[in-house]
Amino acid sequence: MDELLAQFLIESRELVDKAVDDLLALEKTPDDRERLEDAFRAFHTLKGGAGIVEFAAMQEALHCAEDAFAAARAESRSVSALDIGNCLSCLDQVLEWLGTIEQSGAIPPDADAGDIVALFARAGAQRKASSAPRNAGDGWLAGLLAAHASAAQPAQSALRYTPDADSFFRQQDPLARIAALPGLLAVDIGPRVPWPKLDDLDPFSCNLTITALVAMSPAGVAAALGDESRRAEIEAVSDRMRPIEAESLARKAAQILEAQLRLLEPAGEPHQQGRVASAGLVAANVLRHLGRTSESEAIATAAAVSIAEGRLEPLVEAIAAAMKGPTSAAVAGVSAARRKDVGQTMRVGAEKIDALVRLTGELIVAKNSLGHSVKVAEQRGSDLAAGLKNQHAALDRLVSELQRAVVAMRVLPLRAAFQRFPRLIREISAELDKPATLVIDGEDTEADKAIVEAIVEPLVHLLRNALDHGVEDGATRAEAGKPAVATIRLSAAREGEHVVIEVTDDGAGIDVAKIRQAAKDRNLKAAEAIAAMSDEEALDLIFLPGFSTAKTVTHLSGRGVGMDVVRTGVARLGGQVELRTAAGRGTTVRATLPFSVLVTQVMTVEAGGQVFGIPLDAVVETLRVEHDRIFPVGAAHAIVLRDRTIPLLRLANVLTGRPNDHVDESGPIVIAELDGQLGAVQVDRIGGRMDIILKPLDGLLAGVPGLAGSALLGDGGVLLVLDLAEVVQ
Amino acid sequence: MADDIPKRVLVIDDATLVRLYYRSALERAGFEVAEALNGVEALEHLLAARFDLLVVDVNMPKMDGLSFLQALRAKGLPLSSTPALVTSTESAPQRIAAASAAGANFYVVKPLHAEALVQYASLFCGARHG
Amino acid sequence: MTVRVSEGGAIELSGRCGVEDAEVLQRHLLAAPGSTIEWKGCELLHAAVVQVLLVGGARVRGEPRTAFLRDHIAPIIARSMKQP
Repeated sequence: MDELLAQFLIESRELVDKAVDDLLALEKTPDDRERLEDAFRAFHTLKGGAGIVEFAAMQEALHCAEDAFAAARAESRSVSALDIGNCLSCLDQVLEWLGTIEQSGAIPPDADAGDIVALFARAGAQRKASSAPRNAGDGWLAGLLAAHASAAQPAQSALRYTPDADSFFRQQDPLARIAALPGLLAVDIGPRVPWPKLDDLDPFSCNLTITALVAMSPAGVAAALGDESRRAEIEAVSDRMRPIEAESLARKAAQILEAQLRLLEPAGEPHQQGRVASAGLVAANVLRHLGRTSESEAIATAAAVSIAEGRLEPLVEAIAAAMKGPTSAAVAGVSAARRKDVGQTMRVGAEKIDALVRLTGELIVAKNSLGHSVKVAEQRGSDLAAGLKNQHAALDRLVSELQRAVVAMRVLPLRAAFQRFPRLIREISAELDKPATLVIDGEDTEADKAIVEAIVEPLVHLLRNALDHGVEDGATRAEAGKPAVATIRLSAAREGEHVVIEVTDDGAGIDVAKIRQAAKDRNLKAAEAIAAMSDEEALDLIFLPGFSTAKTVTHLSGRGVGMDVVRTGVARLGGQVELRTAAGRGTTVRATLPFSVLVTQVMTVEAGGQVFGIPLDAVVETLRVEHDRIFPVGAAHAIVLRDRTIPLLRLANVLTGRPNDHVDESGPIVIAELDGQLGAVQVDRIGGRMDIILKPLDGLLAGVPGLAGSALLGDGGVLLVLDLAEVVQ
Repeated sequence: MADDIPKRVLVIDDATLVRLYYRSALERAGFEVAEALNGVEALEHLLAARFDLLVVDVNMPKMDGLSFLQALRAKGLPLSSTPALVTSTESAPQRIAAASAAGANFYVVKPLHAEALVQYASLFCGARHG
Repeated sequence: MTVRVSEGGAIELSGRCGVEDAEVLQRHLLAAPGSTIEWKGCELLHAAVVQVLLVGGARVRGEPRTAFLRDHIAPIIARSMKQP
């Protein structure tokens, strides 16, 4: 028996003796308040001791007695004879247990307080609700949460999935369904009806009940299960249900720091120095223990200053600053917590963030309209103009900061998009009989939610292509000395204001000659043009619609390779796609996307009496040319710029559908990059630059080709923004 | 190095079992432990030696935990700056506020288990234990 | 072959074991109860195969190739081994 238990025995026996004395005395003189207090304290201390040695049954039994006393104390009345009798019975039971402990040397595992509890219940004593953490009512849910305590923390849903017995016959794999759930945290499997012996088992009849914890909303789980969700019970996991996890060191540290701030609240206490110094000491020590030495020293210094100057502020600020600091970086080295401290994040509904995004957009429009008014004031020589201009500049800065902050809220790690791909690769790889493995790099890279959602489809195309057309069949690979299992690499990285996503395969690379030939065969461009292209330019032909070099169009890729779909999809998000290839070694497709899709910069131009916006990204330069620099090329026109011939269009003509004459008039020209090539667009006037929120078109304008979207202007008008690439086609 | 000096903890509680439990947990973790049964004894200990942490129960005869703390904080530095962690069976916010007002650096509701105690002690003493 | 018996008598599960493998596995286990199951080349197990493993009280060795099998299925099978 260990020392603790031995001491417990000795003390408890003494306390029981004392309590019995007090109870017998109370029986004789029930109004003796002092005896009542003594008795209460004896039971209380007994219960405390039972808690230390973790003897739950004894705690429970003594708790009942405690309650009986508490009621009497609270109501300033005496304990009844019945209560005293019950308390004595309780002590009898305790003595019995103590005897067992002495004999066996350990706490009896089957000790049960049920009888004592019933005794007191019958006497009408209120049983205080147990303070033990309460788990969910349903057996399976509670069991699941209890069995996977660490998974329970981030879990949002729990499900119990009981597939039909004939699911296997119906070509279903229930386990694969569960495996494919995004955010799967924990799984348990049991039989629906008790298992038979192995030789009685029908292997094709499904007798499984699968339970799981998922970090996804119940609605999401139901959607992911599709029609099988009718065979599943899906419950939301609320905070109440999670077993209380042992607090991490980080959490304790944060609580301690908070407590020091409370201690430093000015209390009008004359004895401040001891408090302040102790608070500073504790805060500094906590940070030192977490390895944040510089912050620790800063606090120590601030404490000294506070004491010397008799002011609380220096230390309060130093501690507050440390509380905002990087907990996760330091704690990673100290505590075993694998997830970020939950107390530092909040769950906010997506619709709230979208609302904030919309508001920010409208704020930008309001700011722009203010700028418009400022200009007008300047033009009219108002004496308010200077002041307004300054204030507008200040507002501009603040709004930009707000915009950055709001955009940051909508970012998600690309993992949300990527995590379905390993499975996709496995499936395609199996169907094509081309073993391949997917390596994912940089899935923590963040991007705007809209991008993360919309990038999935183009990536699916790219991954299919890589396997279908890039990766060679087994024999070819073997001959080339390549590993039998191909490697497809999906990587994401942040580069300044852009997010770059690449899909690389170690396959055969793209044969440019084949591309040229296919483009010629399909008359996608003029033969001479194709022949004249550099390899780089020819490679780009792959992005033209209707392109395919595959002799057999496999059912996977459908009609054509689909690179045009990829390019369109990425362009719609404001990004670009390009290809690199090395014959025999592999191909890399690189998509460059804007980090934020909130704001576009456009240049305004006037053409045919209307004002339009052109995304500034596309604009290479603007210039004026005299009509003698414009010359006809076949049915079209062109200009020569620095030894390059660039096709020229007059925007007014294109928009109004007039034939392309009158282009020999002078006028400003916008050189734009369209689909990787330069084009020149002549306009009537070039306006200024502005930031706009590009809104997709809806309603009547949605189907009109050539329009990328619209934006609300400061003066209340609507600016139509052109998609030059479409316009030019 | 300052980290090599073992940290000293004074456990102040009238229950022998509790003092025993805390002492064994802390000593196993490398702390030096002294015990006091009540506030009066505690002050005697403190006048004689430096401590890095006090673990004080609020409920003690002769001089309860909070009165002890108030007396401690009224003394001169450096004695009055000794960090103090207060333990109690009650969790009511007024109790916590009262403890803070008396000068407690932290308030823990019992039962305080061995691992938690060691974690708190390590944080309070700034000991770089793994 | 997704299910085969090695010279040493161990049952090897490799690659992607589909629903038809459940019966094969069941036969092997009935023929040689208590056989060790090697699944280090295994990427996917159809639910029917997992079912046989659970009922057969399979003794599974090695680490399979996919996270789902390693993190979720392996502990479940390990627990089923302990049942009498």
